[in-house]
Amino acid sequence: MAKVIKTEEFIIREEPFYLATDRETEIFEAAYRNRIPVLLKGPTGCGKTRFMQYMSWRLKRPLITVSCHDDLTASDLVGRYLVQGGETVWIDGPLTKAVRTGGFCYLDEIVEARKDTTVVIHPLADDRRILPIEKRGEVLEAPPEFLLGISYNPGYQSVLKDLKQSTRQRFLALEFTYPDRKLETAIVMHESGMDEEICGRLVILAEKTRNLKDRGLIEGASTRLLIHAAKLISAGIGAEKACSVCVAEPLTDDHEMLEALAELIRSIF
Amino acid sequence: MAGTGDKYSDEKYAGEFREDFIRNLRIDFFDDEEISAVLRDLDSLDSRIRQKVFALCHTLSHASSSLVPNALKRIKTASGLLPGRDLERWITHAYDILDRQGIGAFADYISGIDDEALRRFSTPEGLPLREIMAVLETYIRGISGRELKIAAARETYTDTSAIFLPAFVNRYEDRDRNYLIYKYCAALAWAQISQGTVTTDEDVLNRFLKEVPAEPDISAFFRMFPDERMAIDIFSILEAVRLETFLEKELPGLMREVKAVKRDFLNDRPLCPEQARKSAFVEGLYRLYLDGEPAEEFQNLTGDIPGDILMLKKNAGVEESMKLLGIMYDLAAGLAGDYQPVIFDPLLCTIRPQEVSLVLKAGRRARRQRLEGMITKLLNMPDFEQQKITLRRAGQQKLPESGKEYLLIKGRLIELDSEMREILQERGMSGGIIVKGADMGGAGSPMTLTDLMEEDEVIEESAGGVKYDEWDYKRGGYKKKWCTLREKNVHPGHDPFVEQTRKRYSGYIRVLRKRFELLRREPRLLRRQKDGDDFDLDAVIDAYSDSHAGLAPSEDLFMKYDRQQRSIAVLFLLDMSGSTKGWINEAEKESLVLMAEALETLGDRYAIFGFSGMKRSNCDFYRIKGFEEPYDGKVKRRISGISPKDYTRMGPPIRHSVKILKAVEERTRLFITLSDGRPEDYDAYKGDYAIEDTRRALTEAREQGIHPFCITIDREAGSYLRHMYGEVNYIVIDDVKKLPNRITEIYRRLTT
Repeated sequence: MAKVIKTEEFIIREEPFYLATDRETEIFEAAYRNRIPVLLKGPTGCGKTRFMQYMSWRLKRPLITVSCHDDLTASDLVGRYLVQGGETVWIDGPLTKAVRTGGFCYLDEIVEARKDTTVVIHPLADDRRILPIEKRGEVLEAPPEFLLGISYNPGYQSVLKDLKQSTRQRFLALEFTYPDRKLETAIVMHESGMDEEICGRLVILAEKTRNLKDRGLIEGASTRLLIHAAKLISAGIGAEKACSVCVAEPLTDDHEMLEALAELIRSIF
Repeated sequence: MAGTGDKYSDEKYAGEFREDFIRNLRIDFFDDEEISAVLRDLDSLDSRIRQKVFALCHTLSHASSSLVPNALKRIKTASGLLPGRDLERWITHAYDILDRQGIGAFADYISGIDDEALRRFSTPEGLPLREIMAVLETYIRGISGRELKIAAARETYTDTSAIFLPAFVNRYEDRDRNYLIYKYCAALAWAQISQGTVTTDEDVLNRFLKEVPAEPDISAFFRMFPDERMAIDIFSILEAVRLETFLEKELPGLMREVKAVKRDFLNDRPLCPEQARKSAFVEGLYRLYLDGEPAEEFQNLTGDIPGDILMLKKNAGVEESMKLLGIMYDLAAGLAGDYQPVIFDPLLCTIRPQEVSLVLKAGRRARRQRLEGMITKLLNMPDFEQQKITLRRAGQQKLPESGKEYLLIKGRLIELDSEMREILQERGMSGGIIVKGADMGGAGSPMTLTDLMEEDEVIEESAGGVKYDEWDYKRGGYKKKWCTLREKNVHPGHDPFVEQTRKRYSGYIRVLRKRFELLRREPRLLRRQKDGDDFDLDAVIDAYSDSHAGLAPSEDLFMKYDRQQRSIAVLFLLDMSGSTKGWINEAEKESLVLMAEALETLGDRYAIFGFSGMKRSNCDFYRIKGFEEPYDGKVKRRISGISPKDYTRMGPPIRHSVKILKAVEERTRLFITLSDGRPEDYDAYKGDYAIEDTRRALTEAREQGIHPFCITIDREAGSYLRHMYGEVNYIVIDDVKKLPNRITEIYRRLTT
């Protein structure tokens, strides 16, 4: 049975596991203190969302995440009137909730959202820091604790889904790449509970697939895929099979490429 | 082999048996010319089978010489079709038939067998390299992250740009283990490149070389040994041992599987007690590599050495191997007799210092030539007129940066990079001085070399055409109306290229149509519309709540499906330069046919243009299909008429395409270029200059709201691509044959 979480309970109580690769935590804190919105860019599955969770834990602010999609309307973000028992009740959208409670609002994969929706965040993302709620005739001023974060994957090659300059140029941008071998091994070990040997090999495999980016693969294997594979291995699935279903197959449908990936897996495990 | 080998040793083949053979031929009325033809055929055979074939012919000549030329002919055909081991097997088989069933059966066997049957004779489970080449290349690229090529050769080695592997591996009956041998060989060669075996650091080399040549590489190192071959063999093995540790860390699975293979190879190797002492020494070392343990005899021969060899496995560098080679070489050189090169299995990646040296030198030479040309030109240029600086608009002027150094020569200030510095050190700087940017106090306007090279160029004016500016990165500004572009028509071709392509890809085209149809018919649900097929429940609820709350409810309460949502126009710009001749041109044309099929299904508007030319005054822009033209017989004939022309000056055609695209009204305007490598023209439009202009032209396109996307067919996709095209706006296709299939996918991805 799924658990219903109320927004006020979005405060993360336990420390999420996150290993910094550079000075990103420091920069994020500086952005937070100076009220600069943050854009996280990088390939899928490299820890953008986890970083957001970690920072909201560290700064003790509630985190509201919205996964963007192309039917997301402005009222989905801001809020709408609903009728309850013959009366109209205003329900805040996630963005409004975050502004009211002084939390972090994280719009994941912002390019997926319709362009007219994206515009809603503009007045919030510059020095005005306001959220006009048209229907109520209100303008909310964001408290100093409020922070807007968005994420975006530059490797996504669709001309129809590009982030507009007017949006981009309101944010401080942190680039996320895959962590180095040692760090990534530690992450996979922690998340999956597998031993160093297996996790180390998975990371080597990931590096090899990343070498194939633009040489047949659109993107290399993400850390997330490695964690999946490691979990499957610890559940007793053979390493080769686990890598095949968790790493190779999700990456491509091309038979020749799958064959080459299978050879890579065999060579490493 | 052993039986015949004893009787027909090389000397006897040359001596008494040869006499006897010739005598037999004469008895059977062979004239001198025919005899010398037979002997020539025999001598031309591979030394491995020559004795055997000679023995066979000799035996035949006792019965009937007339069979000899025919048999030799068949053997020659067979040698072209069968790999060495199988050829030997085939000859042995024929010989057996001759021995056991007599001449009639032999004649039947040898003439009754056709080429197909011969091919089938080859080890059925053996694995030819060509079968796995494509996958292996991807494999090695994944492992190495480099553009290494795979090619066939007699033995395994690498020249640092390609990995050479045997054309055929049939040690095992099953494909998997033969494949494993290929993978291991390729991995070992990669380790040789990445761990400094063949790409040894100059510093390390200098510590060993007695005289340091201008460009030291490992060939200089091996030249220090009187018996170079022995030194190379010892070193190949030492490195194979050392690199095991590295490979075990990177590819543990492969190394685990390869252990058994090594043991099999070890068991295969015949013991040769008569081997010369030096060869026995190298053989012992090789066995140590295969076995992982020194054999007793080798231990006796070398004392503590095996321990030192095994120490190489403890994270040693190439330097340790080189030191140990010195010790081992001296030890081996002290043994009696000559060194007869040991035959290694394909498993060992040997070293070919000369080939490595050639590749490294060629790379250095190419770079050097380019730079020297620039410097010479610079020194020969007339003095620079100071007032030109003031003529430039302030906005375009670059200022010296304090961290950089500049060369001040003939009134010009030129940016110094490390390569230029090197050349200047060699040649001396007559008339120039080096100044630090910090000392310049922001005065002067630095430029780059290519900038200068163009200043003295004669301007060829030609009438007509459209003029385009060209970006000059040294100057930080445009050369106004620098290039002249003319639109031309492609001369229609008469071969039914389009029809043939459609036939060849008929299956794929069916799939393609379906896929693109899906794209078109994908029901796009538009919410909150003024009218439509159904209520938008969300909108109705919102409106209801709004009116309850006393707000004016919205009227946009419907949703509808829209199939005409796509508003995309795409322009394809095709590289028609001379370098596309052959496969690339074919593939480009095939791609156009497939793209046209897909786009006709989809309904996106499209145009196709090609470009080539020579010099800035002759940029040719070929029309294949305009936006307004239908895809009809005329267009198809033009596609078939596309043929390679001259050079690749990319800037002007890009700018012209942008102009055309700007005139269309579709919401999304896509611009796809198809080319095969660096932009380059006959004049100074080369290198950084050409890359910067292309990059600039693409940036201009983006600024005009056009989405450029570049497809490059380039096996050596250089790092410049990312700079030229920008991070997310290009794709490299390494194998031209994949282009037709890939391009439609790329388009699909770009527009969904």
